Amino acid sequence: MKDFRTCATTGLKVHRQADALIKANAVVATVALLVGGLAAILVLLTRWQAIHLLDAIPFYRWLTIHGMNMLIFFIIFFEMAVLYFAGPVVLNSRVPVPKLAWASFGLMVIGTLLVEWMMFAGRADVLFTSYVPLRADSWFYLGVILFAVGALLVTCIFFASLVVAKREKTYEGSVPLVTFGGLTAAIIAVITLAHGAAIYIPTYLWSLGIGNVDPEVYRMVWWGLGHSSQQINVAAMVACWYLLGALTVGATVINEKISRTAFVLYILFISMASAHHLLVDPGFGPAWKIVNTSYFMYMAVLASMIHGFTVPAGIEVGQRLRGYTKGMFEWLRKAPWGDPGFSSLVFSVIVFGFVGGITGVTFGTEQINIIAHNTLRIPGHFHATVVSGTAMAFMGVTYYVIPLIFRKQIAFWSLAKIQPYLFAGGMLIFSIAMTFAGTFGVPRRHWDITFANAPFDLQFSPAVDLLIGVTAIGGLLAALGGGIFILCTVTSVFFGKPMEEGAAV
Amino acid sequence: MAMHGVPQGILNPPPPPKAEEVEGSSKLGMAPGTIILVFVFLVAFATYYFTNWKLLSFLWQVG
Repeated sequence: MKDFRTCATTGLKVHRQADALIKANAVVATVALLVGGLAAILVLLTRWQAIHLLDAIPFYRWLTIHGMNMLIFFIIFFEMAVLYFAGPVVLNSRVPVPKLAWASFGLMVIGTLLVEWMMFAGRADVLFTSYVPLRADSWFYLGVILFAVGALLVTCIFFASLVVAKREKTYEGSVPLVTFGGLTAAIIAVITLAHGAAIYIPTYLWSLGIGNVDPEVYRMVWWGLGHSSQQINVAAMVACWYLLGALTVGATVINEKISRTAFVLYILFISMASAHHLLVDPGFGPAWKIVNTSYFMYMAVLASMIHGFTVPAGIEVGQRLRGYTKGMFEWLRKAPWGDPGFSSLVFSVIVFGFVGGITGVTFGTEQINIIAHNTLRIPGHFHATVVSGTAMAFMGVTYYVIPLIFRKQIAFWSLAKIQPYLFAGGMLIFSIAMTFAGTFGVPRRHWDITFANAPFDLQFSPAVDLLIGVTAIGGLLAALGGGIFILCTVTSVFFGKPMEEGAAV
Repeated sequence: MAMHGVPQGILNPPPPPKAEEVEGSSKLGMAPGTIILVFVFLVAFATYYFTNWKLLSFLWQVG
């Protein structure tokens, strides 16, 4: 059938519409990564007090641009590509409604452009959270709503693709674990986008002068969007871990039931984790806070710890089955460290778990949150999860998507091989130094921590200057790694050499 | 070895292991290296968690 091609590497029947939609979403995600990355450098060079590049208003503008592009546009466009891969491609099926899929993509792009326009025009200096009563131009909120509707439609198309694949019997037995992970991400996406609609529609009307929005209610509902959107990332990232493990070293799934149960735990409990953003808010009682963050949230943490065990265990078992059985760690020493897909996978698992996971659970404790809240410890934590974890995993998958889907060789291959080391190493330095700076009470999101011209005097420990400097150096290293990634992927996609005959079709 | 510009997993895909060799939780014993890594993680977790409670105790002094 001309609507399909067969991948020589995986043997999968790839629907050409899925192929094209993956490409389109991946390209837009990379553009958002570029914009967000440039914004990151400007923000970083301003927070580094020795340079302090931008004035206050441009600083908050670029911080808004950085947050929206990285946490929303880059991540969610890439996740849409993951859904088209985990659904139609993995199940040998088709995109059920291609025209609607392209319309949804168009809606997301229009929403993105509206938001970008408002941010760059200085009409939405409200940061990623856009907390009420900060008010952006109504086009900003409309852009977010259009983007969310587009993403919700893609999620529905993913569900429909599962039904079509089942009905047309394109696979046998249960859906593969990667698809199951995609399904988890899609279900969490529905919960997330419902929260988004519940809060952004009234806020849009408020921006038009219709009605009012209570700031406390806004915070509670908004975090149902803001944090849950990062849980879509976690589910998609874990699906990518299993995929990369299988592709790079033939990792096995040591126990399907345990891995699937862990995904179900995400669906059931991870939304409650949003409450940890409200731990110092006065409007909620301690019982509500503690039940959500010290009981329900731990069930989602348990899920991450299960995946954090089963993925490396699957790699170890896979390697041992192929003869790497000497000692405790031959399987790890003789792993393909020169394959950027594999090194990205390992760094993603380690930094997500050891830095992002440990700090996240600790800050999610109500009492400890009081000394961490609104300090640099918080961005130190979430850069370890979202950037070193999710973005790193997505980068690793991209090194396989380009040959398998775009059917191009990776350009600047030598650079591509060191890119995960630069990116993960830089982000590790960045996250740890930032977390330590936060331990000294340095506030997050603050333009000038010297508080020049303020009516009071506040001095931080001299160690803070060193830690902020180390944070900046780590961030610049990571930015270099991110730049290399964009250079390699953009060059490969648009100017790369086609795959050789027989390598992949 | 990976050919220039193509990851190893595509050029030389790892041969699939036999299903019966990997199914079942009884095979967890086949991953001793991972067990060690898990304990390193748990020690790091406990240390960081305890340190934070210690820091909090400096602020909230009892007596």
